[in-house]
Amino acid sequence: MTTRQVEQVINPAGKHFVGDGFLVHNIIPGSQGLSMQRVSPFIMLDYNAPHYFPPSATPRGVGVHPHRGFETVTIAYKGKVEHHDSSGGGGVIGEGDVQWMTAASGVLHKEFHEKEWSKKGGDFQMVQLWVNLPAKDKMSKPKYQALTNAQFGKYSLPNDSGVIEVIAGSYKEVTGPASTFTPLHLLNARLNRGAKAEFSFPANYNTALLVLEGNITVNGKTLVPANNFALFKNEGETFSIEANENSIVLLLSGEPINEPIAHHGPFVMNTKQEILEAFDDFNKGKFGYLED
Amino acid sequence: MVQILNRPEKDIVWVVGLGFQEKNSIWFYKKNRQVSTVVGIIKTFFAMNDFTLTTYLTSNIDANKNVIEPLISHCKVKHFKKSEFLLRQGEKCKYSFFVEKGLLRQYSIDEKGKEHVILFAPEGWFMSDRDSVYFDQPSSYFIQAMEDTDLLFITDELIFQLAKEYPSFLEFNNRLLHNHIRQLQKRITQLLSATAEERYLDFIKIYPDLMLRVSQIQIASYLGITPESLSRVRKELAVKNQP
Repeated sequence: MTTRQVEQVINPAGKHFVGDGFLVHNIIPGSQGLSMQRVSPFIMLDYNAPHYFPPSATPRGVGVHPHRGFETVTIAYKGKVEHHDSSGGGGVIGEGDVQWMTAASGVLHKEFHEKEWSKKGGDFQMVQLWVNLPAKDKMSKPKYQALTNAQFGKYSLPNDSGVIEVIAGSYKEVTGPASTFTPLHLLNARLNRGAKAEFSFPANYNTALLVLEGNITVNGKTLVPANNFALFKNEGETFSIEANENSIVLLLSGEPINEPIAHHGPFVMNTKQEILEAFDDFNKGKFGYLED
Repeated sequence: MVQILNRPEKDIVWVVGLGFQEKNSIWFYKKNRQVSTVVGIIKTFFAMNDFTLTTYLTSNIDANKNVIEPLISHCKVKHFKKSEFLLRQGEKCKYSFFVEKGLLRQYSIDEKGKEHVILFAPEGWFMSDRDSVYFDQPSSYFIQAMEDTDLLFITDELIFQLAKEYPSFLEFNNRLLHNHIRQLQKRITQLLSATAEERYLDFIKIYPDLMLRVSQIQIASYLGITPESLSRVRKELAVKNQP
């Protein structure tokens, strides 16, 4: 086992609104050196850094839109999101929870701040991640996994210094509840000041982390402050993180899907032809119908 | 958002200028300037990455980039922010516009204050008010950027220069004009006699990605139907087309 070093630390640039309810930094693929291929299977990461939304009687959010060819994973750190989709599904993603939506062959959905939360307003912090699907699964049936924090695998670090929450994949012997199409690990490390944790993933797995709170030092030398993103090299397996203050860190590691990517807006397929079909199917109602 | 899409085949080029595609066929110009119709192919151009006028011209006429670029470099290039106006009713329109990135809409406002969308122009489209540009009349239209938009201002001088360099350009331009008129005729027929569903189905062939770029209110306005009718049509199609 050799040490895996940080390739680059990114302090994400400009923010933009998605609808009127999500003020996000686009980190993947918007940052230099973080193309969809480079970080595959993680092909998009929007980060809503902590932002205060004042009370609003009409929930803010993003209206009906389609997705095809991948999964959207919404991780709520602060605030609550309500969602509905064209298959009749819906629910609330509460603080600490995750919604794993396999858009696959296509869904229409909309996401808004949860009604009661919106009335009060508050700090909002969220990650939306797109996980690519292999070609053979891109047109499979859409599905949902509503994963509450209570369902996550939990690994307690020694001396009550923190906990590793396993959303997908595993950490040491603890596994997470999400089912995935390709091998990947998605973890939250909640670390008290001074806590140290070690991680080990296969060298070819594209691996990165996002610091949501606090600040950490990776491998005893690379400082990653809050709201920064670190991409690891694909050499070596193990790395350590140490919390310089109470910290929350999202860790991603997955086997790359080495297939061509054709991307346009909310569709991620393998060929341009498939993108054109996605537009045509969407326009003709083949994704179903959802009231605005 | 990043687009990772390939350009269309080099030897087959899209005729989209001055705006329009056939309902069930696209005219292809090959490099040898033979013209053929391919039925049933609406594999649109919107997925191209590169919508510069240079690429557009070198793809559509047998032209050399090194000759075209200096000609185009005389064109005014301008960036418009979302919601900005290029033209207001009553003003004189002096140019045609070529959209390299972004989206324009051309519309009028009636006496009751209601907007009527005449045309959308996404990447690779031209937009103009001919009444104003060619007949020196004050414009009846507004032209507005619907997104942050990069434009080229096309002048008669450019058309003249292109025609001088490339006789094939005139043939191409002529074909575009005929195609434009043909589509306008179709649009009249549609507005007079087609059902809301027929209008919508035609719209999505011409503008495959606009449902994701503009509001349904705008699209309903273009189609000459109410937003409620558009919503109903889409709902009925969804029911009909459920796998």
